[in-house]
Amino acid sequence: MTTLADKALLPTGLEDLVPPRAEIEGRAVEAAVGFVAANGYRRIKPPLIEFEETLLGGPGAATGPATFRVMDPLSQRMMGLRADMTIQAARIAATRLNGEPRPLRLAYAGQVLRVKGTQLRPRRQFTQAGIELIGTDTPAADAEVIMLAAGALEHLGIGGVSVDLSLPTLVPAVCRGLGLDDATTESLILALDHKDAGTVAALAGPHGALLGGLMEALGPAERAVAALAGLDLPAEAATLRDRLLAVLDCLNAQDPTLRLTVDPTESRGFEYHSGVAFTVFADGGRGELARGGRYRATLEPPAPLGIPATSGEPATGMTLSMDAITELLPEPPARPRVLVPAATDPALRRRLHGQGFVTLGALDGAADLKAEARRLGCDHVLEGDHPVAL
Amino acid sequence: MAGPPPLLSPIPLEAPMSREKLVIALPKGRILKECMPLIRAAGIEPEPAFDDPDTRLLRFATNHAHIDIIRVRSFDVATFVAFGAAQLGIAGNDVLMEFNFPELYAPLDLDIGHCRLAVAEPVDLSRDDDPTRWSHVRVATKYPDITRRHFAARGVQAECIKLNGAMELAPALGLATRIVDLVSTGATLAANGLVEVERIADVSSRLVVNRTALKTRSQELTGWIDTFRQLTDT
Repeated sequence: MTTLADKALLPTGLEDLVPPRAEIEGRAVEAAVGFVAANGYRRIKPPLIEFEETLLGGPGAATGPATFRVMDPLSQRMMGLRADMTIQAARIAATRLNGEPRPLRLAYAGQVLRVKGTQLRPRRQFTQAGIELIGTDTPAADAEVIMLAAGALEHLGIGGVSVDLSLPTLVPAVCRGLGLDDATTESLILALDHKDAGTVAALAGPHGALLGGLMEALGPAERAVAALAGLDLPAEAATLRDRLLAVLDCLNAQDPTLRLTVDPTESRGFEYHSGVAFTVFADGGRGELARGGRYRATLEPPAPLGIPATSGEPATGMTLSMDAITELLPEPPARPRVLVPAATDPALRRRLHGQGFVTLGALDGAADLKAEARRLGCDHVLEGDHPVAL
Repeated sequence: MAGPPPLLSPIPLEAPMSREKLVIALPKGRILKECMPLIRAAGIEPEPAFDDPDTRLLRFATNHAHIDIIRVRSFDVATFVAFGAAQLGIAGNDVLMEFNFPELYAPLDLDIGHCRLAVAEPVDLSRDDDPTRWSHVRVATKYPDITRRHFAARGVQAECIKLNGAMELAPALGLATRIVDLVSTGATLAANGLVEVERIADVSSRLVVNRTALKTRSQELTGWIDTFRQLTDT
């Protein structure tokens, strides 16, 4: 028994998916990619592993600590296993597809690996499906991607979707406008991420009212918008806020029923984002189901502390966490299973498949076909050319 | 936002669409006494068994059909709320610093449960100790993570021995030379021949909220945060 148990044990954060979960996930990924394809996003397939310097260049720098690395015995260079596919899409847009007309719409689905899981999701291998919209910088583009994230979830049958919008570069911009030093800015970003009112008040000093006001300007969109509009922000930060308001207007115009919340100071997990970013939740889910936002599709390393990047194309995108989504999806209705003799004509089998049956060949020449059918979980056996219920 | 809601009818602004359960996690012990007046002022009244010291119940109904209170150890408040098993809670920032849970928000300092987290050592040791020469210290504590980070920030490796209470015994019995613990008056330290040598952080109780709940039940939870903020401000 010990040896069997030894063989079953997987490294931390990795798991086997067995039926029906693996089937639900596979089906969900195809449905999600199909939904975005119908909206004009064409699929790319980057490799699982590539040179560390390209994988971790540009927006990828933020994923450095999460990336598994191996040495390539051929080129003797370090390679990284992707921890995020957005970076790869950005690289493809900037290189192989730089001649395509803009805006460029790309879709992808695949596996990513992370060195360490998160508190809510200790697993280290994830299934991602997502889109990138590259080469346009308008509120309408931000809204398109957000609508598609919410739309994909609804398409998969998930109800009670709510989108939380944030501005990861807002706090750095406010701090710059107020002339705060880098160390204070960094501590403030962290404290605001935790909505740690005590620490924010202590760090902000004379600016406590403004930064506290920013932190409290969260919640349902109407409430947050009213609070944000009333804040006297430095010029750069005010521009960011106005962009957020414009995106909210676009979203309201397109779908007034979409549940929107705002959290202007959230920046965790948005390390490479440069504009409106968002996280998608749903009732009953333990954590986030999708996230995305505006960034620069560049191959240059990002500037520290949210200084807006100037190189590269403006881009936005979203990634669906298919593992988290799959947990919320019900098992699909079981298809009837029919046991057929192994030598059954393939044309007959295809006809049965067309009628919605799953066919299983009786390989061991069972004497009692009905008993064999029951043992294998079939509810029909083939008699002549017709499936007969047991 | 509309005008301030009346303090004794805290059902957030407009009633939320669904009446999903709201679980509030409160810490057992010292802090509980200090936070109950706030909970009651917010219009939440637990069932009578809550005040019965002999009760074996852990989960209590309240005067609101959809609100339950659970009473757990202070460290567990953070865990219950971080994982979404409870949506609201009250926890000291010592606990929040120790776990550093990304799924936990602490939007309000309730200004109760004040004390400090400090390093203490035997009086004799403190007399001729030179901290600049340390490369390694052995510390008995309930807060191994904070302790490690605190000493690492000045280039000292801390070997932590995790205890769940009675830290003050450790130096005298040779378990560790120093301790990191909560100090309020310092009387327990003095009684055990210890002296506070360094303050790591000032501690007070915070209202904590689960991140996902704050996003998906935004109206309801921001309503409660506002209610508690008004109670704390007055």
